[in-house]
Amino acid sequence: MNAVTLNTLSKIYTGGKKAVDSVTLSLSQGEVFGFLGPNGAGKTTTVKLLNGMLSPTEGALSVFGIDPSQNPEKVHALAGVVTEHAQMYDNLTGIQNLVFYGSVFGLSKTDSEKYGLELLRQLELTDAKDKKLAAYSTGMRQRLSLARALIHRPQILFLDEPTSGLDPESAQNVHSMIRRLAAENGITVFLCTHQLRYAQEVCTRYGLMAQGRLLAEGTLDALRCRICSGMTMKLKAKNLPADLVCQQTDDLTFKLPINSEEEIPQFVRKITDAGGQIYHISAELPSLEDIYFTLTESFKSPEADKEA
Amino acid sequence: MKNQITAIIKKDILGIISNRRMFAILLVVPIVLTVFIPTMFILIVRFAPAEAADFQKLLAMLPLPEQAEASSESILRLVLNNILPIFFMMIPIMAASVMAACSFVGEKEKKTLETLLYCPLSLKQIFRAKVLAAFLLSMLVSAISFVVMFVVLETEICLLAGFFLLPDAKWLLVLVLVAPAISLIAITLIVKASAKAQSVEDAQQGAVFLIFPIIMLLVGQFTGVLLINAGILLALGIVCALLAVLLLKQSMSHFKYETLLK
Repeated sequence: MNAVTLNTLSKIYTGGKKAVDSVTLSLSQGEVFGFLGPNGAGKTTTVKLLNGMLSPTEGALSVFGIDPSQNPEKVHALAGVVTEHAQMYDNLTGIQNLVFYGSVFGLSKTDSEKYGLELLRQLELTDAKDKKLAAYSTGMRQRLSLARALIHRPQILFLDEPTSGLDPESAQNVHSMIRRLAAENGITVFLCTHQLRYAQEVCTRYGLMAQGRLLAEGTLDALRCRICSGMTMKLKAKNLPADLVCQQTDDLTFKLPINSEEEIPQFVRKITDAGGQIYHISAELPSLEDIYFTLTESFKSPEADKEA
Repeated sequence: MKNQITAIIKKDILGIISNRRMFAILLVVPIVLTVFIPTMFILIVRFAPAEAADFQKLLAMLPLPEQAEASSESILRLVLNNILPIFFMMIPIMAASVMAACSFVGEKEKKTLETLLYCPLSLKQIFRAKVLAAFLLSMLVSAISFVVMFVVLETEICLLAGFFLLPDAKWLLVLVLVAPAISLIAITLIVKASAKAQSVEDAQQGAVFLIFPIIMLLVGQFTGVLLINAGILLALGIVCALLAVLLLKQSMSHFKYETLLK
């Protein structure tokens, strides 16, 4: 059974804004799916639709076979959700908050306290467990939210920008925890983010959104194939032959497209034979960021043309 | 399921007690209504010279059995059994509104409502828990206020006038029927307002209208136009209880995640 299925899902808000536009997508169990896109792309709306907080205007969706618009509470029992708007109680301490949410999810007090402390340890919040939430920094709140989303041992996590406001060390820590949860516990993760470098480290598959539309989805390799077949050779060199087609990015650095690493020796020979000097050479595959910008740019340009 | 609902009720009640501003309102209003105002009445009755023209005018307004020989005991009895029960009705309204506004709109304001909605309870169950929390707190505040009021009043009357005055059946009706019913109405009005309200104060305005009928009842006692008796209170209580149940059912059916999280 798929963990998540979206079938031509659309959501139009009362004001007429189309936040999600015919999105079709499916996630297998244990996948870490990166749902990427700029602000306003429809990521948060999709998470809300998947948790039954919003009803779809068109199309169908399911989480582990349950329709969230019909049985939201059944989806909630299986899902942990972290969003910017899902805060916790300032008048309670870190551990009191976790125990409260544990009990709301049907856990006993001892069970939620025990597991809560373990989660606090994993998220490096043990020292702050007895501090009231009012004294927590944004990063600490964010990490506690993740602990809260995990307290009932969910099968799927919906994380909407879980590392916004975190310093690089904490973000790294959260990401390795997400990876571990997926690998060891088989938890499916639906991660919305616009931090593409982090997403590339954590996710196994991606969906790229812009203006409510799903521009592309697939693994990094599949997305690479989709936008270009080759790679980029970067070199730092002097006195390059005049007939070499390349793009100068800096005083001595150049970029040129190649189909595979096999072509590199030929280029090196050509440059050195012509009296050129090579200081450094590397071959790079397009990163998630490159793919993202290429896709969003190509999506924007027809729109821009239309407007013009 | 029961434990999950109990957890929400406990959290809501502890939440309001730990909120100093709200707790102060819950404390001050009942003290004014059950200690300060009754004490003023007793002191006026006991120490105002019966011949004073103003006091005679006031007595003339009061619907006393034998006005000519209005004894301090009959005046005090009227105050205790006709006027104070109406002042008292403001306590459940106030406590219920403060608590309901805090637990519905307060959660929305502090962005904790969404987190609560992600729990595996239906919207109806969450609302039932919250209504119950507000209702329980309102009843608790009312019960404590009643006990405090009677201890203070009986002590004052005994010390100043030398006799005891017992509360009559009207108090029983107020405590077990009217107070619960009007506190439920207050909660429902707040719950209804909370869907649109963006702040706690916004939501509380809805319940202010409940104070008007009480002020009218109070005027009724002073002027003798509508003196409360057990029959009137019973009828009032039943009407309010029915209205509360009706309003509650109607308001719950309107709730959807989408409207709440706007």
